[in-house]
Amino acid sequence: MKIPKLLQAVLVLAIVYYGFILVFDVILDHVIPSSLLTMYMFFVVAGVFMVFTATEESTRELVGPIKALVEDPSKKTIRNVVFVILPLLAGWYTYGKTSLSFEAPVELRTIHPAPPSSMKAYGKRYDVIKLENPLRKLEKEDPKKFKEHVAAGAKVYIQNCHFCHGDKLDGRGPYAAGLNPTPANFQDIGTIAQLQESYLFWRIATGGPGLPKEAAPWISSMPIWQNFLSEEEIWQVILFLYDYTGYQPRSFGHE
Amino acid sequence: MKFKNQNRWGITVAGVALLALVFFLTPLSFSGEFFDIAAQAAEQAAEPAAENSAEKTEGAEAASPYGPAPKTTLASYPTVKGVNSRLVIWLVAQLHLWFAAFVLAVPIFVFIIEAIGMRTRDRRYDNMAYEFIKVSITAYSLTAILGGLLLFSLMLFYPDLWSYLATIFKDSMFWYAVLFFAESACLYLYYYGWHWLQGGDRKWVHLTIGLLLNAVGTMLMFLANSWLTFMMSPEGVDAAGVFAGDIWPAIQNHLWNPINLHRVVANVAFGGSIVGAYAAFKFLSSSRAKDRAHYDWMGYNANFIAISALLPLPFAGYYLTTEIYAFSQQMGITLMGGIFAWLFIIQAVLIGALFLSANYYLWCCMGRSDGAVRYYKYIKYIAIVIVAAFLVWFTPHTLVLTNEELKALGGPYHKYVGPFGIMPAKNTAVNLMILATFVSFLFYRRANKIATVSWVNAGNAAQVALFLVGVVNIFILGVYYGYFTNTVYKIAASIPQVCTTLTIIVASILIDSFMYRNSKEVAPLKWGRVPERSQYALFLLAVSFTWLMGLMGYIRSGIRQHWHVVDIMRDNSADAFTPTMGFAANVVSIGTIIFLSMVIFVFWLSQISAKKTEPENYWVPEAVDGMAAGGGKG
Amino acid sequence: MRNFLKVAFFSLLVIGLFAGFANFGIPRIEPAPPPTEEKIDLGSLTMDQFLVLGEKIYKGKGTCTLCHNALGGRAPLLEKAAAVTAARLKDARYKGDATDIESYLVESMIKPSAFVVAGFGKKGTQDAVSPMPDVSAGSIGLNEVEIAAVTAYLQDMGGVEVTVEIPEDAGDSAAEDEEQQRKPYESAEDIISEIGCGACHKVGEDEGEQGPDLTKIGAIRSAAHIRKSILDPNAELSKGFEKDLMPNDYGTQLYASELEMLVEYLAKLK
Repeated sequence: MKIPKLLQAVLVLAIVYYGFILVFDVILDHVIPSSLLTMYMFFVVAGVFMVFTATEESTRELVGPIKALVEDPSKKTIRNVVFVILPLLAGWYTYGKTSLSFEAPVELRTIHPAPPSSMKAYGKRYDVIKLENPLRKLEKEDPKKFKEHVAAGAKVYIQNCHFCHGDKLDGRGPYAAGLNPTPANFQDIGTIAQLQESYLFWRIATGGPGLPKEAAPWISSMPIWQNFLSEEEIWQVILFLYDYTGYQPRSFGHE
Repeated sequence: MKFKNQNRWGITVAGVALLALVFFLTPLSFSGEFFDIAAQAAEQAAEPAAENSAEKTEGAEAASPYGPAPKTTLASYPTVKGVNSRLVIWLVAQLHLWFAAFVLAVPIFVFIIEAIGMRTRDRRYDNMAYEFIKVSITAYSLTAILGGLLLFSLMLFYPDLWSYLATIFKDSMFWYAVLFFAESACLYLYYYGWHWLQGGDRKWVHLTIGLLLNAVGTMLMFLANSWLTFMMSPEGVDAAGVFAGDIWPAIQNHLWNPINLHRVVANVAFGGSIVGAYAAFKFLSSSRAKDRAHYDWMGYNANFIAISALLPLPFAGYYLTTEIYAFSQQMGITLMGGIFAWLFIIQAVLIGALFLSANYYLWCCMGRSDGAVRYYKYIKYIAIVIVAAFLVWFTPHTLVLTNEELKALGGPYHKYVGPFGIMPAKNTAVNLMILATFVSFLFYRRANKIATVSWVNAGNAAQVALFLVGVVNIFILGVYYGYFTNTVYKIAASIPQVCTTLTIIVASILIDSFMYRNSKEVAPLKWGRVPERSQYALFLLAVSFTWLMGLMGYIRSGIRQHWHVVDIMRDNSADAFTPTMGFAANVVSIGTIIFLSMVIFVFWLSQISAKKTEPENYWVPEAVDGMAAGGGKG
Repeated sequence: MRNFLKVAFFSLLVIGLFAGFANFGIPRIEPAPPPTEEKIDLGSLTMDQFLVLGEKIYKGKGTCTLCHNALGGRAPLLEKAAAVTAARLKDARYKGDATDIESYLVESMIKPSAFVVAGFGKKGTQDAVSPMPDVSAGSIGLNEVEIAAVTAYLQDMGGVEVTVEIPEDAGDSAAEDEEQQRKPYESAEDIISEIGCGACHKVGEDEGEQGPDLTKIGAIRSAAHIRKSILDPNAELSKGFEKDLMPNDYGTQLYASELEMLVEYLAKLK
């Protein structure tokens, strides 16, 4: 039996929609954000519509039942039912979208707020754009010393950072569950792997209070580490973050 | 007067020489000046350098004819009651740019179409080219009017910025104004001489004028570009904004060439899309089969030009972005990682709309030939690739999560969707989208033909293999180099990806053109036989393109944030803040509506110029007769 | 016309969709307003930070502690300077025109001779002229902001109310400028007067006492010895003079040519 085009289209959409939910929520155990799913579906609908109306024949088949529903006198009853249900559905959807709920408002977190061009720490002013990790050059020049610094950074990390950022640097330390926004996950490809070391220095030295306004919500509990760590310790821990995760800091020069 | 045949080369050479002259004349004429100034500046610079630091600034100020960038206060920005000066500048500049882009783009492809017509001796091309250039005449004066309005608004609302820029760019501004005469002369000669300069050598002369027109137009744009890129990446001035006296570094600042390239390509795509919309409208409103066929054909060609220019555009944009990052990481992150990141999600939606409508148009147009039936079954696969690539393309870096989702995910990072948010995934996606669009085009090309060469199967297999290998390569480059190596390779990997895509396209076109040489036409293309739906795809393309240009214009200018000239001249006006995306989008929407209304007006003008009304009993018949009679007698 | 309306409606719909997405499809973020301060963030400095700046200048760029220290007794200690100002203003020997603590402190830095603490005047002037240089000029060259910061620091140290207001602009440009190259001094006399050898040494017109007499130094010391003593003052101390009194950074302050010029000049003083 040949499935009518209209039903085909609806079926395809349903399969894609539940396919997303099945794959992400069930199989991968990582829910797909509803905001993302809505946009995904919008374009899937557009794509399906385009495929089904690409040829004259298939357009006629697709639109046929709808035309018949509206124009065919014999379908009066079903037409009336549809014409009642459709506005109700729209109303229900609108109500669901606009009614108040107890859900806290969605908070957006900008993962990489733009850094200032210069920052103040340790009573000095740093040019964030040109700032480089002074220990990074040892990687080539003196690997043994470099390793020492990485080890020192590891010590700093375990003593100070792992409580929140986790002993695997995955943002899941013992205290992480109590924090919102949750601590950064350095293993994620979207965090330190995308950034220059000066950016990390800025974030560590000035902590949550040093975040610009656009990085709302402005409630990060990251301490202002320049009050607790020395400059060198911060550079060491940055070395450690990259060393442990295996990422390379972003740079614009070739090696 | 008739040129002899052997003179043709002479004329072409003369044309090229003239062109070269125009290209080099202007830089030379002020290079002479600026060498002198540079020498002076060098002397001045050498002297105070040795002095005490405190005196140095004073010394430089006293010796240099140029002061530092003006420091403005709120009072330095004149206001007109009831007028928001930023909105005025914003809209006027954007409208000027839209028209300028259109006016610059149309001659580019009119030139191409005319050349195609000369080569194929197909009269339709020549007629189409003429129809386009006719439209661009009215648009040209609108561009100039808007440019004047922009200049006025700048001087009126931002006098300090204007005078600062004018101090630095006075030479190029002067020559810019002078070049407009050349532009006008070329355009009028090209347009009014169209029917006069027909056939043989005359046609060559005409084409050369077209080339000159494009050269002058492009140079005008490059000059104007240097002013705005100077505002983004100032060079040739010191940290306080004191101009060193040499205009060339100020012109050739860091972002000049990236913007030049990006704008030339985007202009062509934009112009093509507007002309496509024009053809679509004419198609919809004409009833005669002949007209419909003509405008269908015109719409197809305009769309073809638009899409051909659209395909390399992401790469030009990528180059520009890389250069912005290289100029200033802060500006780069403001652009891509900060608040403007969401603007790129809007951009992604628009580019997706462009690709979808372009493909949809091609699919619908296959219906011109009955032979297309063979390829219909592949459409859904192309659609799947495009939609899937598109979903990756517009997945934001920062996901909007409800609290419940946050809890379920254990943080704002999504292990599987998150990686789609960064560049390697998007590069891969856009390459696939381009390839899929190219496949649509291949099918369209083949719709009415059957290849007759003996190696058809081998050729098809080679093409399939080419695509497979290419796609695998793009994936490896995107996934392996994009995620598992350091950033230097991440950025570098996008280049071989582009090369792969280009190689596939070029090689495939080569194979196809050999394979379909002497092919059998099974079902001829029936121009005009397209569904009306497809014409709406052309409108979608034009509207999306216009809106997109407005949006990107906003972001290009917006990343300067509260600076007139980045890090040198601060914007201290009341409007120095960055508006929200929603507000910007509304301004862009209003601008788009104004622009499209003006374009409709321009098209309408070109339409009424062809109409003639013969009023009854209006003119005194004797007068005409008397003239005729008098003439007869004489 | 019907077509035109259809097309117009379609175009407006598309524009509306784009605008709608931009307004409602993405999170609404209000971009940060432009930073209020320009270049130097003096505006955002708290008084505490300003005092820290003052202390830094006091101990660093201002070179105040070179003399105002407990070691050599070359200049009065300033811990209580702000506290005793009231008495100073009433003192008969006071020649300045300050009216309050703040203006007195500023004056004391720019016109040190307005009041010279007994026993600290230039030799032979009966405490009428101060050996202290004007800190706003010469090699110290503090700018207004820096002087204000030091004044605030002195007030804070003296335990009186800090009345200095943090200036809004002008800048640490002086701090940056110092890094830049200065023009070399033209003669040894210039060097001696500019870097203030006379504050401690007896040389030329000056009658400093904290360091050895240099008026005939060429007669008893070789050029090499003089050079060494300038570069590393503690290496070989003259009899009766304390360690650490002479700054040990003249090697970095002077250009090599200047150092040679100075050594040559001193070696010829016989």
